[in-house]
Amino acid sequence: MDKPDPTRQTKTRTKKESLSREERQKQLEFQNEAVVHLNALYNYALHLTMNPSDAEDLVQETYLKAYRFFNSFERGTNCKAWLFKILKNNYINRFRKNSKEPGKVDYDLIKDFYHSIKDTRSDTSESESDYFHSLLHEEVYQALHSLPEEFREVIQLCDIEGFTYEEIANMVESPIGTVRSRLYRGRKLLRAQLEGYAKKYGFNNDNVQ
Amino acid sequence: MNCKKAGVLISASVDGELSLSEEREFLLHLSECTECRVEFEDAKKTKMIIKEKIIQFKAPEALIVSIMQLTNFNTKEHEESLLYE
Ligand SMILES: [Zn+2]
Repeated sequence: MDKPDPTRQTKTRTKKESLSREERQKQLEFQNEAVVHLNALYNYALHLTMNPSDAEDLVQETYLKAYRFFNSFERGTNCKAWLFKILKNNYINRFRKNSKEPGKVDYDLIKDFYHSIKDTRSDTSESESDYFHSLLHEEVYQALHSLPEEFREVIQLCDIEGFTYEEIANMVESPIGTVRSRLYRGRKLLRAQLEGYAKKYGFNNDNVQ
Repeated sequence: MNCKKAGVLISASVDGELSLSEEREFLLHLSECTECRVEFEDAKKTKMIIKEKIIQFKAPEALIVSIMQLTNFNTKEHEESLLYE
């Protein structure tokens, strides 16, 4: 800890300099802890709003709030979960409480995204003669979005974002048992959907393995 | 444990979210039931397929820039407000 030297600096300058150092530290920590989750947050917002410009607004608000209240973030806990919770609350406040409808759901735009973006991951498992692997990105996306929101949400938070049941329970403000049963029921529905797509490719249940 | 009970636990088991006693019983059942074992493998695959096939978009450049500015701006504002109080 370096103490300001009173003989060298005026009171105001000392205050300003120590403050900006503190703020710079906070900023650095914020960038390391919080800003690194920007892509995940944007995707979550996109799934919630189904509209890119609403998603951007939501992410901006979230970071603004998160930065302001960064001191209340419990160090050592999952910062991503903390940010997701803030984003979810913002979403509810903006689009639910005031019963303000989210921007028009832009299915076409999202579909375009899917067409324009080539998956960079090399899908080595693609060669497997497994019906799951014949499914297209778009189909999985559609299957997921055909689910009631309460199911879609937990599947997304669990499978895509990798949160624990406890973290999800905290985010959706429901008991862990509820999260668990929503995942169970949601996955059942999802599988039925995916199997529907798979049939299109001539796979039947005998091929499922 | 019977198949019905095991079936309910499959979902939580692929997430590694069973309690110790549940997991012990569940694994015991899997070891002696081919059907549930197949179900379990399918459930693992479904989880993987969601993760693999849902495309994660990159946040737009403009959003990244504005988030960075957001924190910078706040710092300045904060600094100034404290400086002139
Ligand atoms: Zn069984």
